[in-house]
Amino acid sequence: MIDADVRVHAGSIEKQLAELWRNEKQAHDDAVTRAALWNVVAHTWNSKQHAHATEVLASASASVPQRTIVVRADPNAPHDMQAWISANCHLLGDSRQVCSEEVSIVAGGERVDHVAPLVNALLLPDMPVAVWWLGDLPNDHAYVESLLEPADRLIVDSSQFDSAADFALVARIAEQTTTAPADVNWARVEEWRAASAAVFDPPAMRARLQSIAHVRVTTAGGTLGATSEAVLYVSWLMAQLGYEIPFELATQSEEEGISAVDIRFRDNTTALIRGDRGRGVVKCSAAHAETELDCITRKRGRGLSDLIVRLLKQPESDRVYLEALRIARDVAARVAASHAA
Amino acid sequence: MRPMTTVDANPLRQGLEQERVPDPSCLVIFGASGDLTQRKLIPGLYMLAHDGLLPQGQTIVGIARQDMTDEQFRASMRAACDEHARTRPVDDAIWESFARGLFYVSGEFTDPAAYTRLKARLEEFDRTRGTAGRRIYYLAVPPQFFEKIAELLGKENMVCDPEKGGPYTRVIIEKPFGHDLASARELNQVAVSTFRERQVFRIDHYLGKETVQNLLVLRFANGIFEPFWNRQYIDHVQFTVAESIGVEKRGNYFETAGIARDIIQNHMLQLVSLVAMEPPVAFEANAVRDEKVKVLRALRPIEEAVRGQYAEGSVMGERAAAYREEANVDPNSRVETYAAIKVFLDNWRWAGVPFYVRAGKRLPKRVTDISIHFRPAPHPLFSRLGLRMQPNVLAIRIQPDEGISLRFDSKLPGPTVRTAPVTMEFRYATSFGAEPPEAYERLLLETMLGDATLFARRDEIETAWSWLDPLLHRWANDPAPPPFYEAGTWGPEEANVLIEKDGRKWRRP
Ligand SMILES: NC(=O)c1ccc[n+]([C@@H]2O[C@H](COP(=O)([O-])OP(=O)(O)OC[C@H]3O[C@@H](n4cnc5c(N)ncnc54)[C@H](OP(=O)(O)O)[C@@H]3O)[C@@H](O)[C@H]2O)c1
Repeated sequence: MIDADVRVHAGSIEKQLAELWRNEKQAHDDAVTRAALWNVVAHTWNSKQHAHATEVLASASASVPQRTIVVRADPNAPHDMQAWISANCHLLGDSRQVCSEEVSIVAGGERVDHVAPLVNALLLPDMPVAVWWLGDLPNDHAYVESLLEPADRLIVDSSQFDSAADFALVARIAEQTTTAPADVNWARVEEWRAASAAVFDPPAMRARLQSIAHVRVTTAGGTLGATSEAVLYVSWLMAQLGYEIPFELATQSEEEGISAVDIRFRDNTTALIRGDRGRGVVKCSAAHAETELDCITRKRGRGLSDLIVRLLKQPESDRVYLEALRIARDVAARVAASHAA
Repeated sequence: MRPMTTVDANPLRQGLEQERVPDPSCLVIFGASGDLTQRKLIPGLYMLAHDGLLPQGQTIVGIARQDMTDEQFRASMRAACDEHARTRPVDDAIWESFARGLFYVSGEFTDPAAYTRLKARLEEFDRTRGTAGRRIYYLAVPPQFFEKIAELLGKENMVCDPEKGGPYTRVIIEKPFGHDLASARELNQVAVSTFRERQVFRIDHYLGKETVQNLLVLRFANGIFEPFWNRQYIDHVQFTVAESIGVEKRGNYFETAGIARDIIQNHMLQLVSLVAMEPPVAFEANAVRDEKVKVLRALRPIEEAVRGQYAEGSVMGERAAAYREEANVDPNSRVETYAAIKVFLDNWRWAGVPFYVRAGKRLPKRVTDISIHFRPAPHPLFSRLGLRMQPNVLAIRIQPDEGISLRFDSKLPGPTVRTAPVTMEFRYATSFGAEPPEAYERLLLETMLGDATLFARRDEIETAWSWLDPLLHRWANDPAPPPFYEAGTWGPEEANVLIEKDGRKWRRP
C-alpha cells in the first residue's frame, strides 16, 4: 500500500509523485490504477480543518477519483512551507486498486503568497478544478481571487454562513466570475426537492403548482446557518414556480435541517411532506378528487464526503441552484432580520 | 433532443437526478408468475421505485393462471426482489409503498372472462390511483400467446388508438421475435392488427445496457472519432459475444433456435448497426432507428460463415459436458452453439471493410467486445529498421468490466529505436464507481416515458431476418453435423481459418 505520507520538497512534488507510482507499479504490476476526474483543492486555515478536509476527500475519492490538494495557509504562523504526498487507494471489487493522489501544502507567514502559484502548477491538465473553501471567505480579495482563478467550481457550505452577506457574496461570484458556486447544503436539500417534485408528478396535481398559498417549513433554528437548508428550499420553490410564495419557518431543535414541509393551496387543501429519519425516507401525501396520493423517496446520506461526491458528480454548474441562490440572498436577509427582531 | 414528455411540465423536477418521471399508468404483466417477471421485471420496477423514478400511483397488475390473492402475489414478488434486486437488502419502507401498487388477477390468457375482470380492476385503479386510462401491457409469455392476447385486448376495448387521442396504450414484447422472416412477419402482423407500430416496444435488452448506449455517445459526442470512422482508415471490425455457460436449463428452447437466432439476429446486429450507422439527425426514436435500419439494408448476403457445436471440455476449471449431453437436447443434434460470420456492408462508408462477427457458448469466458482495427500507417518509416508495427485498435468492452481502450505503438526508452504496443484505458468502474442500472430498469422506464429509441422497430427485425434466413436454411439442410470445438476454447478451427486466410487474426478479448 502506498498511503503513507511522504515529505517532499515543494519544488519537486510532481517528480516525487511519478516516482511513487513507478515503485508501486513495479511492486504490484497491473493491480493499481491511477485515475482522476477532478482536481479538488481544499482550502483550510488551521490543522483541525486540514485533518477534516483530508479525511473527507480521501473518502470522496473512492467515488470520484481526483487529485486532491489540501492547503493550510496561516499568515500568522512562522515563515515556512512544507509539502507531503500520499495516495488514497480503494479496492475495486476484485484485487485491483484505484488510487488517487493527495498533496498537502502547509504555508505560514509570507509564504502564503506562494501557495496559489504552487497549486496552479500542481493541477492535472484537462481536468476541471473545484476549490472547496472551509471556513470563512476572507476579506483579502487578491488572495481568494488568485486561488479561484483556475477554479471551475467553488464549493461552500451555507450551513456555516453567519450572515445574509455570505449568500450575497456567493451569488456575486456566480454572476461576476467563470467559477460556478456549489453548496453542500444544496445537496442536503435534494431529498426535499425530490419529495416536493413527487407531490406534483400526477397530472392532476401539476395544475395546482400555480395555486400555492403558503408554505411552512419546519427546520432547525437559532442561527442563519441552521435554517439555511430551509432558506434554500423556499428560494428554490419560488425560483422554479416564478412567483412569490408567503412562507413561514417553524423552528424545532431535535433534528438538523428540514424535518417537515406543509404546502397549503388556495382552496385550503394541503400537501404534507414528512421526514422519517428512522426509516430513512421522506413521505408525502395529498388528495385530489377521489384519488389519495402518497409518495416516498429515500433520504440521502448527510455525510460531508457523500455530499461532496454528489456535487462533483454533476459535470455542469447547477443552473437550478444558481436561480435559487439569486432569491436566497433576499430570503436570507428576511430570515436574518426576523432573528434579529 | 428527447421527445417532449409530461415531465417537462413539472418544473420542480428540473435538475434533479430523477428529472424524467413518467405519468402513473397501469402496467399489466402477462405471465406474472414466470421466470422473467421474477428475475428481471419486478426487481427492475422495485429499483425504479427505490431510485425515485416511479410516479406516485404507478400500478402494476400481474396476470397468470395460478390462483393468488394480491397479498400472496406481493409476498412472492418480495421474495423475488430479496433474491434479485440490484441493491439489497430490500428497503422495507420503499417496498411497502411499492407493494401497495401491486395487484394480481388470475386467469387463462385465452379466456375472455379474464379480460373482463382485468378491465374492471384497471378502471377502478384509474379512479383510486390516478392512472387515468394509461396502459402498458407487458407480454412476458411465450410468443404463441401474442395473437390471442392481442385479439382479446382489442375485443374488450382495452386498447386506445393513438390516432383518436385519449390516454396511451403500449405493448412490450420479448424476443424471440419469430424464428425466421415468415414467422416474424406473422408476429408483427398480429401486433399491428390491434396496435399501431408506435405503440409496440420490442425489447432487445442489449440496448438497455449503458455501454451499448455509450457507443452513440462515443461516436457522436466526440469530434475526433467520426473523421476516421470509415473505410479509409479502418481495416476491419470484430464483434465477439462469448458466454462461458452452456445452454443450462434452456435446452428445449435452444434446440429450436441455435446461437445465430439467439444472439446474432438480434443483439449482434444491434451492435453492428450502432457501430456502422450514419449520424442520426436527432437523438430521437425514429431518427436513430432509420439510420440503424439503413445499415441492415446494406448487409451483403452472407458468403462466408462457420458454425460449431461444443464438445466436452473444461471451462473455468470445471468439466463441461458436450452440448449433445445436455438436458433436453437431441443426442444427435445439429444445432450450432457457435457461429462466426464475415459480414460486408455495401455502402459508401464501409465498402470493402469486413466485419467479423462471432458468438458462442462454452467459450473460455463471458465477454462482449467490439474492436475497431485501423489500417497501418501509410508509410512504413520504422519497418526499415526491422520493426514490426502493430496496427491501432480501439476496443470497446460491453461486458464485463466495461470500458474503452486504444492500442498504439510507443518507443521503448533507450538509444536504439525499438517500439512496443501500449494501451490507453478508460474503465467505467474506475472513473465512475457506481454500478450502472440493469438494462430492464432503463427499458421499463423508457416505455413508461414513451421513448422508443432503445427498442427494435418492425423493419429492423424483418430486415435482420431476411439477411440471416438463407444461412439458416443452408445450415438446416446440411446433413453434416457442425464442426465440434472443445468446451473452453475459442470455437472451431474453421473460425480461425475464416479470418486468418484474410491475413487477420481474432483479437483475444
Ligand atoms: N426468462 C428470461 O430471462 C427471458 C429472457 C429473454 C426473453 N424471455 C422471453 O420472455 C417470455 C417469458 O419468459 P419466461 O422465462 O418468464 O417464461 P415462463 O417462466 O415459462 O413464464 C410464463 C408465464 O406465463 C404464464 N402462462 C403460461 N401459459 C398461460 C396461460 N395459458 N394463461 C395464463 N398464463 C399463462 C405462466 O404462469 P402460470 O403457469 O401460472 O399460468 C408464467 O407466469 C418468453 O417469450 C421468453 O422467450 C425470457
